[in-house]
Amino acid sequence: MSDEERRWPVAGLGPIGRARALGASIPSAAWAEGILDAPYDATWPWITDLETSIPRFDTQVRKVQVVERAPVDGAERLRITASSFGVAVPFEVRLEDGFCLMQARARLYLVLMAAEPHDDGARTRFFHLEAVPLPGTRLMRGYLQRVVDSDFRNLSRLASQGF
Amino acid sequence: MDALVRELMPYVGRICGAIALDRGDDAMQETFIAVLRNLRTLREPAALHGWVRRIAVREAVRVARGGLEDSVDPTTLATSAVAPIDVATVVDVRSTLAGLAPEQRAILVLRDVEGLSEADAARFLGVAEGTVKSRLHRARSAFVGRWEP
Repeated sequence: MSDEERRWPVAGLGPIGRARALGASIPSAAWAEGILDAPYDATWPWITDLETSIPRFDTQVRKVQVVERAPVDGAERLRITASSFGVAVPFEVRLEDGFCLMQARARLYLVLMAAEPHDDGARTRFFHLEAVPLPGTRLMRGYLQRVVDSDFRNLSRLASQGF
Repeated sequence: MDALVRELMPYVGRICGAIALDRGDDAMQETFIAVLRNLRTLREPAALHGWVRRIAVREAVRVARGGLEDSVDPTTLATSAVAPIDVATVVDVRSTLAGLAPEQRAILVLRDVEGLSEADAARFLGVAEGTVKSRLHRARSAFVGRWEP
């Protein structure tokens, strides 16, 4: 009997499952999930070049600047600023393979992006979420859903064009 | 909250994997959704692992049941039996577990992985202590000389 056969079965939580669980606990969270017509190996490196990717798919963000980047327990921690409507908002980012959690300072705003290979990596399952994780913000969900849907449409178009 | 998820992932993964088997990943996701949605109801932080264990076992059994063609009637759980396992044909741990009902897998996890007493496992699952004993006996006998958790 091989070691694999003797092993006690252990379940896993992939990046998208983790993102779904986090999103389900925030009343204002709006998300979109679907398949991008681009290989995972091309999609995720492009997404995680935040200075390039975010202003291209999020029409509300004019500029993203990475201020600091450091490794932390198997991931990367970034400090960035995202300029929107003339205001530069600082975010803390946790970046892993397939998982990107962005939290504005004081946790006033949260952005989650998660991706997994689909069709053996030929395409990409992508999950995008935005939320205001504060009490009494449930009514913002409709607005956030429009934002997220717009971002996802742009991402789908960019993916089909090879970014 | 993400830090909490990362810390609990290995623990929840062992429970959900052993009980829900091929649907363990789904059970894990459902567990974390329930944990994060209800975290504010947890009054005593020291009780976190026991509380999470309760949710993980419940969700894993529920998800595993959902995967069966013939769903299990909860009122029959205390006496439900499974077909005897022919130890000679046991291929591996996963296939042995797959031959057990989700509730039996839950008892194995609680007694032999989590180390709960039979009385505590009975209280945890809301069944009689004798039910735990009989299910455990049947589950363990499927693993004679083969189980290495």
